[in-house]
Amino acid sequence: MKLEFLLIMAFGGAFFTYLVGKISARARNFFAVVISCGLTAAIAFLYGAGLEKTFYLGFLDLPLLLRLNMLSWFFAVTIAGVGALSIIFSLSYIRGKERTDFYYLMMMLVNAGMLGIVLSGDLVSFYIFWEIMSWSAFLLISYNRGPALAAGMKYIIMSVVGSVGMLIGILSLYASYETLVISELSVHIASASPGYVLFLLLLFFGAFGIKNAVWPFHTWLPPAHSEAPSPFSAVLSGILVRMGMYGFLIIFYGIVGLKLFMGLGKGIYSFHHILAWIGAINIVIPTFIAMLQNDSKRLLAWHGVGQGGYMVLGTVLGTNLGLAGGTFHIVNHTSYIALLFLVVGAVEYRTRGVRDLNSLGGLIKKMPVTFIGALIGACGLIGVPLTNGFVSKWLIYKTLILGGHPLLAFAALIGTWGTILSLYKFLHNMFLGQLPEKYKNIEEAPFSMQFPIIVFSMVIILFGILPGIPLKVINAIGTSFGFESLNVVIWGIASETGTLNTINIFAAIIGACIIVWLIARPGKKAPGVDQYDSYAAGAAVPADRYHYTVDFYNPLYRMINPYLRDFVDEFYMKLAAWTRRLCNGVRRVYAGDVGYYAIYIILFLALLIFVQVTWSIW
Amino acid sequence: MVNPVLLIAVPLGLSFAIPLFGFVSKRIEKYIPVAGLIFNLVLCFLLIPRVLQQPIIVFIGGFRPPFCINLVAGPVGILFSTLIALVGLLVSIYALKYIKEGAKQLYHILYLLLLTGATGVVLTGDIFNLFVFYEILCISSYALVAYLGDRAGIESAVKYLIQGAVGSSLILVGVGLLYALFGTLNMADIARNINSVSAMSVFVPLVLLITGLGVEAAIFPLNAWLPDAHSSAPSSISAILSGIAIKVGIYAVARVIFTIFGASSILHFLVFLGLVTLLVGEVSAFSQNNIKRMLAYSSIGQIGLIVFALGMGFSQGVTGGLFQLISHALSKALLFLAVGYMIYRAGSMDISNLEGMGKRMPLTSLAFTIGAFSLVGLPPFIGFPSKFLIIMAALSTQQVLFTVLIAVVLLGTVIEGAYFFRVVQVLYFKGEHTALQKQEAPVLALVPIFILIILIITAGVYPRPVTGILNSASSELLNRIEYIRSVLG
Repeated sequence: MKLEFLLIMAFGGAFFTYLVGKISARARNFFAVVISCGLTAAIAFLYGAGLEKTFYLGFLDLPLLLRLNMLSWFFAVTIAGVGALSIIFSLSYIRGKERTDFYYLMMMLVNAGMLGIVLSGDLVSFYIFWEIMSWSAFLLISYNRGPALAAGMKYIIMSVVGSVGMLIGILSLYASYETLVISELSVHIASASPGYVLFLLLLFFGAFGIKNAVWPFHTWLPPAHSEAPSPFSAVLSGILVRMGMYGFLIIFYGIVGLKLFMGLGKGIYSFHHILAWIGAINIVIPTFIAMLQNDSKRLLAWHGVGQGGYMVLGTVLGTNLGLAGGTFHIVNHTSYIALLFLVVGAVEYRTRGVRDLNSLGGLIKKMPVTFIGALIGACGLIGVPLTNGFVSKWLIYKTLILGGHPLLAFAALIGTWGTILSLYKFLHNMFLGQLPEKYKNIEEAPFSMQFPIIVFSMVIILFGILPGIPLKVINAIGTSFGFESLNVVIWGIASETGTLNTINIFAAIIGACIIVWLIARPGKKAPGVDQYDSYAAGAAVPADRYHYTVDFYNPLYRMINPYLRDFVDEFYMKLAAWTRRLCNGVRRVYAGDVGYYAIYIILFLALLIFVQVTWSIW
Repeated sequence: MVNPVLLIAVPLGLSFAIPLFGFVSKRIEKYIPVAGLIFNLVLCFLLIPRVLQQPIIVFIGGFRPPFCINLVAGPVGILFSTLIALVGLLVSIYALKYIKEGAKQLYHILYLLLLTGATGVVLTGDIFNLFVFYEILCISSYALVAYLGDRAGIESAVKYLIQGAVGSSLILVGVGLLYALFGTLNMADIARNINSVSAMSVFVPLVLLITGLGVEAAIFPLNAWLPDAHSSAPSSISAILSGIAIKVGIYAVARVIFTIFGASSILHFLVFLGLVTLLVGEVSAFSQNNIKRMLAYSSIGQIGLIVFALGMGFSQGVTGGLFQLISHALSKALLFLAVGYMIYRAGSMDISNLEGMGKRMPLTSLAFTIGAFSLVGLPPFIGFPSKFLIIMAALSTQQVLFTVLIAVVLLGTVIEGAYFFRVVQVLYFKGEHTALQKQEAPVLALVPIFILIILIITAGVYPRPVTGILNSASSELLNRIEYIRSVLG
């Protein structure tokens, strides 16, 4: 299988689907699903292949390369899988909305762009695909109109700023080494001075940090995630944002290399240590901001920011355990955040666009499959044992403790605490408590929505019980970066400093369940209670009068609210307002009076002559 | 025998023949520019392979230079005349349907004259002849800006005329000084002797020419006419003014600085000037509510980028600058053509009135989006390789100064992105419009729009044919010894 075919299939498929959509909507849906599933299968089939070849020479005589290694396979299969599932989810979600052809085109184009990014073997094609991904994501974020416009603008402006930095970095590499092929750069850069490496790393950190929504570049993410159509939010939060993590891995370990990267600066002032602290900040603040949200998608979006912190924290410390934890966390995060966004999408679909957590509730009986999905997703996000989130978090904690970073480990733990609180609110306010009267006749989500939810739930459990499957791939990625190999077995990681055995945990939990069941069995059967059979202070509460979910963590809010303002966002908004004023001011140079304009010309001439006569510099 | 002189003679003759054709049939008039420009385009394509091997020097009247007016069809000249013929042709097709009222006959005459002037400027090898063609270009554009005959059009045409006249007189004085110094008007001959007189006496004509030509080239602070003129002209003329006229000004400035004066010491100033022009243009465009004024200011910004790149003064930078010039000509022409019918349908130039155009005019909106993305420099459109080359050139100097400067330039790009993305959002996503009828632009307008889209994408994906010509063009600009030798023998 040639890699070009994959990209042709991805890009060509997108436009083909669009054109088919002009003829028949059913055929379009069919092709969209078939092409995206076919891509997933094709990529999965390429497991273990190591390919690298030049596919195009026509662009300014720079060789454009495609290459496939463990790292790119790992990301590619995630991208294709999430893309396919979100397109299946879209089938009912987007039906009947306007511009559906455009929607499918952009969804598939975003996925194709991301595939291109991870399959690129040089930085030019990397950049080209990166930009294609960025602008198609912009169009999709703006799709919902209304507040989505501002969200889209925020996203694209920050994204352009990041790309600008990346372009300068890329071309500065070219100016120094006359090549942009990643594998060649990693050889050349060994001779670079630390100052230059730091300059490069800062540029790329900006570019990828913006995409990865690392604090203080995170501000575009919450509005963009909450305003985008839900299936795209799943892609956006699940994998598009994590292209930034891919970029980090490529630049830190793929190009600069482990030794040079760890050697920048000393002690607590070393580059990777500062990054680790940024990661820690990135865990704590957004997670608690998430708790204050009343919009279900915004709540998840803030977790998208927060979870990125774990990935950064794991990967930058330069140990094999940390890298495995951070990288594993990427795919785990993809599975559960995408699942949760799809859950919100399903609820949104049935309730006609309600995302406000205070006006939902009690949907558990009406949408059981969706609820199970939400529960598993929430457990994964929190890191409950037997879900994949547990394994990656365990690896990250372990790294922090072994490496002697108690404060960082503490930050990571606090983050988990905030996650539990906010996700409990998420689950409770949507699915538990009283069912509002108006949702009495609500139905379970259609099968095309249930299917992706079920698949993601199964992935979460599967990787939680048998983490060895992905960890084997991740270990191969680590060794390709020059890390020591981990002793990966199917049930986890064996090592002398502490073994992780998920099978034992699984057995223990099953055993505990059996014991509880055995003890509870002889007792009296609990009577079933209706959802509306609620009491408060001994008196029955009339149905639909009282909503338990409003002001869920009120006392806690009052305590932490003043500390959790998003100062960074306020700063950016001020900067934008200031720029606007500046622009308006400068515009007044063109005053409108032709007399001034003629004087400008004469003054310009006079100035030139004056400068020359006085200083004769020309 | 294909002769470059036909590139000027045929459209010039045809433009004055338009009234004669008018006697035969009023309906034939508007096809004359199309025919003339097709001829020019074909001729250019025929000339390109020959010119790339060896510049063609045409001696008018049979005398050898410096005693005659001569044409120099080198890579630069042929590059520009191809661009002029191409964009001119596409816009003239657009105008077939777009220009419906007013003095149609005069429009077509002036239009063809404008392009004749432009072609003459880029092909001539004589500084006074350059001035003459330059005046043909300017005067016909003054008249065309006022074509609609409304108050805004006439006012801005008069403003344009006044500033243009100031600029032209400066050029004339500069040319006169050169003649006084060297006794010749042949550019190659002046270039050969430029070092024989004192630096100061050469400097005065240099700045006179830069300032005078800079007015048409829209370099800050000489460009105040541009926003008014570009926004009140009919859209087809705006496309030509933005796409061609100011580029010819840039050509003239570059020719004067690089070839005639060889003034490499002033190049740093040019870089600075380009940077200021870029920032002022982008920043002013940012707060516009009038779509055409926004595009006009964005042209100023793009000119700044071109000047910046040319000012770097080494082959990669100049190539990047010329590439940016082409990419801007195509993209901006596309934008103005797309906007032309949008304004016509919306009945207003306010950006807020363009809501829902994505539904009403899907193809035109798509064209606008592609043009905007291309100007911002997003792949896979032509603006990407051109910006890429400029940044590559700036960083290849390995100087901290240029790294900082290019960062500032890219900051301008961010602002540019901001206002273009905003308009794209307005076209597609702003407001609720359910009951909109599809009112696409007429086919004759869509044909040039589609050709431009195809060119923009093809050159963005496969820039090699363009860069091939650009490389020889930049070496012609930078290698003045070679230029002098090829003209004077």
